[in-house]
Amino acid sequence: MSTSTPDVRATDGVDWPSDWLRATLGFLALRALSFGPSYGYAIISELERHGFGAIKGGTLYPLLTRYEAAGLLTTEWRAGDGGPGRKYFALTEQGRAELTRLSADWRRFVESSVHYLDPDRPAKEISP
Amino acid sequence: MMQRTSDKKWFDELVMELRLRQVHGSAIGDTVASAKELLGDTGQAAAEAFGPARDYAAALELPAAPGHDWVRQALWPSLLGLLAFLLFNQAVAAWTQQEVLLVSPAQLALLATPVVLVALLPLYLDAVVRRIWVGIAITAICAVAGVLSAVVAPTQASDAWLAIDPSPWLIGTAVVMVALSVRNTVRSSRAADDDEIIDPLSGTTAGTGAGARILVHVTNWLFPVLALAMLGLALALR
Repeated sequence: MSTSTPDVRATDGVDWPSDWLRATLGFLALRALSFGPSYGYAIISELERHGFGAIKGGTLYPLLTRYEAAGLLTTEWRAGDGGPGRKYFALTEQGRAELTRLSADWRRFVESSVHYLDPDRPAKEISP
Repeated sequence: MMQRTSDKKWFDELVMELRLRQVHGSAIGDTVASAKELLGDTGQAAAEAFGPARDYAAALELPAAPGHDWVRQALWPSLLGLLAFLLFNQAVAAWTQQEVLLVSPAQLALLATPVVLVALLPLYLDAVVRRIWVGIAITAICAVAGVLSAVVAPTQASDAWLAIDPSPWLIGTAVVMVALSVRNTVRSSRAADDDEIIDPLSGTTAGTGAGARILVHVTNWLFPVLALAMLGLALALR
């Protein structure tokens, strides 16, 4: 898999609430595949390197299987060089469009959340 | 990669759970291979990486064959074979002693017990597979029903509900058993069978060694072989 953005953060001990990861893992995995076809362990390593903690196979694979069934991904088995074969996942055009849509929606959601949580905002703006 | 004992158990459970969900063999092979690939990369134990096999199989939501497929392809033929075998056993004793076959309602009800239990298998298959005592209990009920059917078999024509010539029943049930065995042998020798677990890389199937092939043939011809043994026993005791 090709490398992604260089601003890799140190992520030892990352422990996000599981609800947050459940909500975001889908498009994070799509993003990890937007750099090119990749396999399970490489996707997990990519997400861990970028601060999302160590995603378990039991969480990632069912998600990828659902995305494949939905037409967002295709899969291909490739023989390993002297090692085991690997199942590569690749984004389809539909998957790429879904990533674009979800990323835009997420950014709007985060902006709204950040704005709302801003402690410097006047109290009257929060009151009904 | 050396597979740990706990991992082997986990993979056995995973395959069983996917089988219970009627997932196609090729999809099971793909799931097993991709799980092994990740374990090889991470060095984790299967349960650590994927959680309980049952939960993982459920979470994958893999496409499954329609629920009635195995009932049509496997259960009904097995049920017909069992019914033919039970009727053959009733007819064989009378035939070897050149007597009429005497049947009472209680005897028929007891003979129907294993047939009904097998027919209802789709309702409790999960319980049989997951809890060994359920399987033992079902087998015990069938065995007791078989023994009791022999006990309540009428010995005189006046006690019998039906008195029939055993020869047509003997021949008819034997033909049915052999025909079903031939059908099963032809089915199991076909190459592209959805039941086979196929490795996605090599395209080969698991469990196709000589031992597994012999076991399949023994299973296919189980009722005719047992019926032949019963015939031999009846002739020896005549």
